[in-house]
Amino acid sequence: MKVSYYPGCSLEVTAKPYDTSAQQVCRSLGVELEEVPQWCCCGSSPALKMDGLLSTALSAQNLVHIEGQSVDKVVIPCPFCFRRLLSAQEEIQADQDLKTTVQNVIQAEIAGQLDIQNLLGFLRYDIGLESIREKVVQPLSGLRLLTYYGCYLVKPSGVTHYDDGEYPVSMDEVLQALGAEVLDWDFKTECCGAGLSLSKTDTVVELTRRIMREAKFKEADALVVACQLCQANLDMRQEEIGKAEDTDMAIPIIYFTQLMGLAFGLPAKQLGLNHHLIDPISLLKSKGLA
Amino acid sequence: MHRLKGHPEERRFLEEVIEKSGQNLLECLQCGKCTGSCPISSQTVGGPRQLIARILHNMQDAALEDPTWWYCVSCGTCANRCPVEINMYQVATALCEMAEEAAVAPCEPAIHRFEELFLKSVRKYGRVQELKTVMQFNMRSFQPFKDAKKGLQLMLKGAISPVHFIKGGAKDPRVADIFTRVEQLKQGEKAHES
Repeated sequence: MKVSYYPGCSLEVTAKPYDTSAQQVCRSLGVELEEVPQWCCCGSSPALKMDGLLSTALSAQNLVHIEGQSVDKVVIPCPFCFRRLLSAQEEIQADQDLKTTVQNVIQAEIAGQLDIQNLLGFLRYDIGLESIREKVVQPLSGLRLLTYYGCYLVKPSGVTHYDDGEYPVSMDEVLQALGAEVLDWDFKTECCGAGLSLSKTDTVVELTRRIMREAKFKEADALVVACQLCQANLDMRQEEIGKAEDTDMAIPIIYFTQLMGLAFGLPAKQLGLNHHLIDPISLLKSKGLA
Repeated sequence: MHRLKGHPEERRFLEEVIEKSGQNLLECLQCGKCTGSCPISSQTVGGPRQLIARILHNMQDAALEDPTWWYCVSCGTCANRCPVEINMYQVATALCEMAEEAAVAPCEPAIHRFEELFLKSVRKYGRVQELKTVMQFNMRSFQPFKDAKKGLQLMLKGAISPVHFIKGGAKDPRVADIFTRVEQLKQGEKAHES
């Protein structure tokens, strides 16, 4: 199966492990990812906040590039890019005037009929749990995991149309198919505030603190994420949280694609598992998984 | 309440926010589920319910100087829980654009600085140069060594490359053109209005 792949800016620089693990996992599952030629930034939250037309136009520019690829499906690992491109396509479809304006701005025609999917949803539903299970050579037994979906993948439901905005389950199902033990908790979609990580660090430390305190209480081995902003934020801020709570706080934050790769028998280093601040390798070694 | 019996002039601001955001704030029940769910509402940041109340009462200055929409990270939690499905991050966009038009100084300069630097990078390179933007932000905020230890650790692990702090990628003039055309369009609209 061949699909278009829109990595987004973070996956080129700060979230390389997400990109490389996603690529390898898809290859293992017989999916060919064709990167969108000449893709550009979707504008992320700054464009969405500061300039609605600019935000829609940047997404539309990417939609046009994808439409040129002659595949009808695009898979997006970054939850923000996923929600923004999906939402932009819907906005353009619903409003003819907006469509005309956007087309003038990007100086290209847009069809607006793409099947836009996030990577987790694509693997869970299009590839399916059965195909994932078939590839497992090293079950992740003995790993106690919490799933953390963050915001943009599922919220608001009226925009993402994906899983459940309050209590999603798709990542839990994937990890269970890999043989891991998935713990239950109430913080699956609590916001970690990553967008304010630089400008309002205190706010973000407080938000991540609530999440990590609960993760520690649940005695999880690791938190599993599908968003590079959540990953960076939760990985980076645990040192401050530990100081504030006067406790050791070092729970690895791992991408679901890295765990899929590990279960498929790929080496930990090749999946970038050695590139996180809180090193998951010793944990994985103690479970005989790396 | 102005929304029910106000003079048309008193409803002007409210109507403009509704039109620009596409969100029918007149349906707001003021139930407060939004603010109760909002990750950024605090003792100093009032949250979505109060912001909507200000708009409904035509309190233009208070609404355009409300830190809530600057802080909004568009997590979508309020929209998810709102009984009448008001999408607040669309309201944030409308208010941000209106504040700029009215030349209201950003009440949260640090958030504004980050968002501007981010878009500047996109405009120049087509893709945001994350680490360069982080560096620029920390320099301009007079805290050049903020999170430097973590950056160094990630570099030593080979997770990030020092090159990315200094050097940008290839430039993408097509993206710069999009920025320019959006600007021209807005200037044209402004000229048309005046």
